[in-house]
Amino acid sequence: MTRSDLMGEALADSTAGAGGPVASIGYFSRFGITEGLIRETLAAALSRGGDYCDLFFQHRVSTAMGLEDGVVSRASSQVELGVGVRVIKGDQTGYAYTEDLTRDAMRSAARTAAAIADGPSRTAPQHFHVFKDVPKRYVLQTNWDAVRPERKLPLLERLNAAAFKADGRVSKVTVSFSDEHGAILVADSTGRLVEDVQPMTSLYLSCVAEQNGKREQNAYGVAGRSGMEFYGEERLDRIVREAVGRTTILFESSQPPAGEMPVVLAAGSSGILLHEAIGHGMEADFNRKGTSIYADKINKPIAHPFVNIVDDGTNEYARGAINVDDEGNVPDKTMLVENGVLTTFLHDSISARHYKVKPTGNGRRESYRHAPLPRMRSTYMLPGPHKSEEIIASVKKGIYCSNFTNGQVNIGAGDFTFYVKNGYLIEDGKLTRPIKDVNIIGNGPKVLEQVDMVADDLVIDEGGWTCGKDGQGVPVSQGIPTVRVASITVGGRNA
Amino acid sequence: MSTTIEIDQDLKDTARRAVELARTHGATEASATAGRMREVEVQWRDGRLEKVSEATTRGLSLQLYLDGRYSSVSTSDLRPEALDRFIADGLAMTRALARDEHRRLPDAELYAGRAALDLSIEDPRQGQLSAEERQRFARELEEGARSADTTGAILSVTTGFGDLFRESYRVTSNGFEGGARGTQFVASAEVSVQDPDGRRPEESDSGFARFFEDLPAANVLGRRAGERALGRIGATKGESAVLPMAVDHKVSGRLVSMLLGSMSGASIQQKRSFLEGREGEKVGSDLLTLKDEPHVKRGLGSRLFDGEGIAARELTLFEQGVLRSYFIDSYYGRKLQRRPTTSSPSNLAWTLGTKARAGLLEDLRDGILVTGFLGGNSSAVTGDFSLGVQGFRVRGGQLAEPVSEMNISGNQLDLWKRLVAVGADPYPFSSARTPSLVFEGVQFAGR
Repeated sequence: MTRSDLMGEALADSTAGAGGPVASIGYFSRFGITEGLIRETLAAALSRGGDYCDLFFQHRVSTAMGLEDGVVSRASSQVELGVGVRVIKGDQTGYAYTEDLTRDAMRSAARTAAAIADGPSRTAPQHFHVFKDVPKRYVLQTNWDAVRPERKLPLLERLNAAAFKADGRVSKVTVSFSDEHGAILVADSTGRLVEDVQPMTSLYLSCVAEQNGKREQNAYGVAGRSGMEFYGEERLDRIVREAVGRTTILFESSQPPAGEMPVVLAAGSSGILLHEAIGHGMEADFNRKGTSIYADKINKPIAHPFVNIVDDGTNEYARGAINVDDEGNVPDKTMLVENGVLTTFLHDSISARHYKVKPTGNGRRESYRHAPLPRMRSTYMLPGPHKSEEIIASVKKGIYCSNFTNGQVNIGAGDFTFYVKNGYLIEDGKLTRPIKDVNIIGNGPKVLEQVDMVADDLVIDEGGWTCGKDGQGVPVSQGIPTVRVASITVGGRNA
Repeated sequence: MSTTIEIDQDLKDTARRAVELARTHGATEASATAGRMREVEVQWRDGRLEKVSEATTRGLSLQLYLDGRYSSVSTSDLRPEALDRFIADGLAMTRALARDEHRRLPDAELYAGRAALDLSIEDPRQGQLSAEERQRFARELEEGARSADTTGAILSVTTGFGDLFRESYRVTSNGFEGGARGTQFVASAEVSVQDPDGRRPEESDSGFARFFEDLPAANVLGRRAGERALGRIGATKGESAVLPMAVDHKVSGRLVSMLLGSMSGASIQQKRSFLEGREGEKVGSDLLTLKDEPHVKRGLGSRLFDGEGIAARELTLFEQGVLRSYFIDSYYGRKLQRRPTTSSPSNLAWTLGTKARAGLLEDLRDGILVTGFLGGNSSAVTGDFSLGVQGFRVRGGQLAEPVSEMNISGNQLDLWKRLVAVGADPYPFSSARTPSLVFEGVQFAGR
């Protein structure tokens, strides 16, 4: 069971990385554009009278390396460069992008996006101001574009050797490593320019083990907006310990019985429950359209008073952290549920305008190829009044879930699932037989009402979670203390 | 060989120049694919236009081989000085890697035998569609959906229409050159309804085709989405039980993809597949007879060669339940010391039954019809799975009340032996073309 504390380690990294001023990002040279070109493009975007428009420039270099059968046998690298042009008219959006940052191509994209509106042209800003108060939530010792492959290789080889050494049953190991150096520039029709650099790294160790002719496979991954310094001794040891331990325990594990029962969720990645059960339903686009099950529940109690849920962009170095969202807004800590009461939706600028509120900094997009949508960042539950031991001891017959692979939700009906890869049966208040491979299904509002115990041991998971919506994937984090759900449907067998 | 496909000269030049540059910078072998795409999409919601998006992109991907060292790189930055630096950087990265003797281009003999066929996967209509036509289609989808609603239960309808054109050209340093062009059209309607108990279930329907004329009529597709959504009202959690399960052809591909996911060369060689070592073994019922057919006219997965340039051929996957082949690319072929088949599926073809869904349900009598999956997973190495489902209870061979918030669990090696009927109704809007399927004795979890 994981008890890793991402926040603690991230803060240590922060101290190490925060020396000296941050050099200017130098976007104009990076993108080969000028203020004049931005002005002309914005003018073309407003040529049919949109209410608002923005340009999203992005340059992203990502690399990945993979080790299998003891050899780093593949590496890949991807360069993305482009600009997305968005024009908004009321709730309507015109969007176009181009990967050719020439004057003609950008103007043509802008005219395409402009077609959403149908009125007299509006004036583009004559002057621009660079937004200076961008927070610094991920300052690296060295940017990834300056880290040579020779420095990364030994990391993969070390993990491979350690995994085989950790347990004689391990028969195949793969290690995947990736890093990303990204830069964005948002320019909008109010004359605002906002820039950010967005690093990311992730590492994933996967094992196959064999015992008496049977095979099992499992993995452990970490991710963060960090540099090479992320991969310290302690974290590397944990990756190996978790990946191997989570694999070999599967030999003793079986699917639990099927049906409704109490479920205890371990602190950490169980935060997937919040992401699926409430987070998506609180994204304002679904509520603006009236299609979310939470659309009419603002200011209403939906959970016990000790339940507090936030969506937070500010956790330093977390995978779900952002300095600015992809509309150039600075994110905050947004309370979704305060003392059991539903408080606010997650907004992008369209929904914020619709609801006449300030954007919450949740306007995110996968890349310049996509228009932004309200998306989660790091979603977690604050600590509660109970103790984890007390929670486990309270269950006569149920399951304890510790590791997850994925989850999904139907926003309107509220039905959601999450998939448990490892866990235990709870019998008479004690963890007994290990369980595996079971999907759990529930209904968001019903399950939140059923969260009847919350411990004081919040953990934000360090894993590489990616949230998918409308075909766009964005990096997110999640976390939760140990909680009890009084009753929920467990897949499983032999009803 | 088919020479009727005229590929953009710029793409050919870009791909050839990239291979040359790679060789100049020291690559022993290289392959390059240059591509371009143009796509347009309109989204319509509750009586008006919600979103229009449009894009034209080009890009280049390269595989670099340097004495057993390998990397793949891709870029959308095609400025000449950037490209030269990009390739030099790619090779610098490649040089730093360890050697792997299996990393080479496919043997040139695998390129031979490419069929000389016109696959009919490009509809000239795509370039002529107007903004008005796209919007009209989206509007008619909504009207179709609303026409299903007699009680005012519909809360919101979001529809979409999109089309794209894609063209690519691939060149390798050991003699392969080949191009492909194709179009795709997609129409979708998502309908959200108010359930008296406060839930707002949604359902959708969509069409996906190479030719505009192969999409269903907008009002028909829209109406079907509306009916599906209205059918979700009053859904409840059924009881936990072992029951026969019919799976609607719209979603049965999900089960097939779990099966196919364990048939790649990588999962076989890495011993991450419950099908490893089972070639020639009976792993499903007699009804599991499945082929891969790359040359289907207008097929969504149709191709003359695969992602590596290997000439596309028909491949038998399962024959009366017996596993006949895997999807083996040239790298894992070398590692496994086997001749490569192909790297990935194209179009699937089942040996179909004689009855569509209604007939299958009559035979099934008492069980559950699954019309949607929600989340879940399957262990590739053991075949254990657990999936969220929704659908309808079937009683006396007829659809009864809607059910939701349920799970099915089992093991794939057991499940495919329980396949007792295959429909006559392959789903036309996916390259998997899976018909409705019926399994006996499936574990459902609910109340």
